[in-house]
Amino acid sequence: MTTPHAPKVTGALPHEPEKATLEGRNKILAFWLFLGGEAVLFGTLFATFLTLRNQVAEGPSASELFSLPMTAAATFILLVSSLTSVFAIQAMHRGNKKSLMGWLSVTVLLGLAFLILEIYEFSVYMIHDDYSMTTSAFSSAFYTLVGFHGAHVLFGILWIGILIGQLLKKGLTVVTAPKIYVSAMYWHFIDVVWVFIFTVVYLLGKAGV
Amino acid sequence: MAHAHSVKRHKGLMDWLTTVDHKKIAILYLWAGGFFFGIGGIEALLIRVQLAKPMNDFVSAQQFNELITMHGTTMIFLGVMPVIFALMNAVIPLQIGARDVAFPFLNSLGFWTFLFGGLLLNLSWIMGGAPDAGWTSYTPLSSTTYSLTHGIDFYTIGLQIAGLGTLIGGINFLATIITMRAPGMSFMRMPMFTWTSFITSAMILFAFPAITVGLVLLTFDRILGANFFDVSKGGNPVLWQHIFWIFGHPEVYILILPAFGVISEVISTFSRKRLFGYSSMVFATILIAFLGFMVWAHHMFTTGLGPVANALFSISTMLIAVPTGIKIFNWLFTMWGGQIRFTVPNLFAAGFIPTFVMGGVTGVMLASAPADYQYHDTYFVVAHFHYVIVGGLVLGLFAGLHYWWPKMFGRMLSERLGKWEFWTFIIGFHLTFFVQHFLGLIGMQRRVFTYLPNQGFDLMNLVSTIGAFLMGVGVIIFLVNVVITARQPVGVANDPWEDGRTLEWSIPSPPPEYNFKQIPLVRGLDAFWKEKTAGHKEMTPAEPVGPIHMPSATILPFLMSLGIFIAGLGFMFTSDDFGNNFLNFIFNNYIVTGIGLAITFGSMLWRSLFDDHGWHIEQDELNEKGVKA
Amino acid sequence: MEDQDKHVDSVIKRRHRQEGPQKHVIAFIFSIVLTLIAFAAVAAGGVNIAFTVVILLVMAVLQVLVQLGYWMHLKDKGHMIPIIFMAGGFFVAGTAIITALYWMWWS
Repeated sequence: MTTPHAPKVTGALPHEPEKATLEGRNKILAFWLFLGGEAVLFGTLFATFLTLRNQVAEGPSASELFSLPMTAAATFILLVSSLTSVFAIQAMHRGNKKSLMGWLSVTVLLGLAFLILEIYEFSVYMIHDDYSMTTSAFSSAFYTLVGFHGAHVLFGILWIGILIGQLLKKGLTVVTAPKIYVSAMYWHFIDVVWVFIFTVVYLLGKAGV
Repeated sequence: MAHAHSVKRHKGLMDWLTTVDHKKIAILYLWAGGFFFGIGGIEALLIRVQLAKPMNDFVSAQQFNELITMHGTTMIFLGVMPVIFALMNAVIPLQIGARDVAFPFLNSLGFWTFLFGGLLLNLSWIMGGAPDAGWTSYTPLSSTTYSLTHGIDFYTIGLQIAGLGTLIGGINFLATIITMRAPGMSFMRMPMFTWTSFITSAMILFAFPAITVGLVLLTFDRILGANFFDVSKGGNPVLWQHIFWIFGHPEVYILILPAFGVISEVISTFSRKRLFGYSSMVFATILIAFLGFMVWAHHMFTTGLGPVANALFSISTMLIAVPTGIKIFNWLFTMWGGQIRFTVPNLFAAGFIPTFVMGGVTGVMLASAPADYQYHDTYFVVAHFHYVIVGGLVLGLFAGLHYWWPKMFGRMLSERLGKWEFWTFIIGFHLTFFVQHFLGLIGMQRRVFTYLPNQGFDLMNLVSTIGAFLMGVGVIIFLVNVVITARQPVGVANDPWEDGRTLEWSIPSPPPEYNFKQIPLVRGLDAFWKEKTAGHKEMTPAEPVGPIHMPSATILPFLMSLGIFIAGLGFMFTSDDFGNNFLNFIFNNYIVTGIGLAITFGSMLWRSLFDDHGWHIEQDELNEKGVKA
Repeated sequence: MEDQDKHVDSVIKRRHRQEGPQKHVIAFIFSIVLTLIAFAAVAAGGVNIAFTVVILLVMAVLQVLVQLGYWMHLKDKGHMIPIIFMAGGFFVAGTAIITALYWMWWS
């Protein structure tokens, strides 16, 4: 371990290339720490939403606004994308770059589908229901919480997209592998947040709690 | 594999803008922190001048509000936080026997985002008015209804950017301490300063995202017309108080814990004894951090949370006195029977203990909810938190700066001037704030810009003002000391205090850019002291001499932070009329914001696409320098 | 050194065999079932509201455990520090949420 920094570019990759270098291990650890902070970030947003969930002023309430089929579709898309990113990491562990890039691309496409669905949903509320950020405290909290999640999805799509490009250019190495692993962690975390969003915002809202 | 890359070494300003060396970043943090500390100090003096006599009109009520807001905000976020980070950067990698932090690039990014955030906040003075709703920025006072200038926007966006830098720094130090410790240095062999910095970084990680959200909500309310805190649309002002203090109370422990660490190091070194009750110190630190997240509502006893909540938060607050008391007794028992030398660092440490205890005692008084109805929003509270922050943290920082100055700069600060500094500062401090307890108890409200004569306030306020200027003299003596020292040649010994116990004293002062020629093997707590008592002059190396890998200098962190700064400034003025078509066009259409974000994300993309392979310091170069490991 | 490489190679092969997609497909199906139960509980309506809330929260927590434990490998060895810090994050998030539910007195 005298030169832990020297990337081993040639030869067979180890089973877990993301943990082959000290940099790689540091990156994964630090990303876990970051996700701990993200948990507080979303926790505070959820606290805000829960405080203001019934403060609809003159606007429609949650149960009048939301449509379950649309949420169910979004949930299904994101869950599948979580599975495809697991498959991507498995392909990476097998050292199969082609399969890895394939699964990453599927993940990005599913993320894009989710985002388009969310933009469509917001546009329905804004244009059809004339329901915006400024309507009520509930609307502010709703758009901010769900929008924060949407922004995370957007960032994830761009990030993984760039990583696919790097795989093309640089190949699967001990430098690119930790980046891919970390982006997969990020993607799962987005799904974790969505689980709470569809439960707390949409389902509990629809149930009228 | 270890072949030399061509190294581009920058000189002068470019060196400072591009450095990723933790020792240089420490110095950047120190100067930036010192700069903001100076601004905050001048604001404090202006406040005290205004309050020196009744019915004074030195500043207007509005200016006074801006001064108190900026004094508190600047001191906490921009003054003492960076000085803490300066010490952490300068010392932690050395104390754990590492060549650098885990993420040198992020370290630099953290500094520059902090600096640009701080500059943005202070730009408010010359761009239409500073924030004026107090450092806590309670709604609805901070809403657009009551705060008409862009002051609060500078507060929310400036703190957002500076807070991002702090969060990055916190994660970096956590990762560094977890993964970069030298062989043999288990968690329970880490020096106390490293331990407290570790816990502080963890608290930063869990507290700062809360204020991030709070500031976003306030920004959205003010700029996008959201209704989080607008009661007429169903918003809830108490929400801001909760979010602010869920962050804000851990924040004060984030500030004080590193000072506890400094005091532990200094007292143990200058008593020539190992720290009494090391493991109980570690335990107490963790307990303080845990309880620190459980007490925030004691800032809100008078908000009307109800008796159950008030009772719970009273009890949890009083509980914090237990681990803190453990620490106080441990320091006293460390000194007990030691061969104490009252050098300047130790003077500050010795001054810290009784001063901090006084702040702690008033803290327990304030923890009693019924009594708090009497103390709330009076000068008693002002006295309390200045006793813990100035009497605790700032004395601790002065102790740490004097203690580690030779390690950071290779020159000893003058002990003679240091003693003058200590006595003027601590006498000035007690003059300023001791009387404020009684001002508060006889009914002087905090944050009032003036008061009527003959209420018993006049003399005590004058005394307080005189004390404040004495503190100012103390700080000026320190600056003189720094300037005089800077003119002397570099060249103190590895272990200038001669009783150094931890790894940083086993290497040259200032250390070479790679810190350790060979990573040392750690055989126990106080690793260097242990070798000394075994008759060794230096540490046993844990590896043969070999080429050392170094990260490359880079301008990208500076550019990323500059981009965020531009974006923040642009976002603030999205709905302003400048009376100029061009300015209106670029601000109101988010063009300025877009340019800023493009710079930031472009730099991120650059960083992601082009790998930094770093460079190597070769073996013969190491031997030429003849550096003792 | 060569022996070691051979040993590493054999370990890698063994691990590859172990880490099949089946485990993750099962976890995925489990997630889908949990989601369906949650949606069904709300879509059906008429059920006691407190009961619905309990069902929804249990389903959400189970699903998050699948994500964190299986897909983010928190259940694997060597994840002590990530677990501590994730638990810390969830703990502080939890205090904020409990505050929102109990101490915002006009909610």
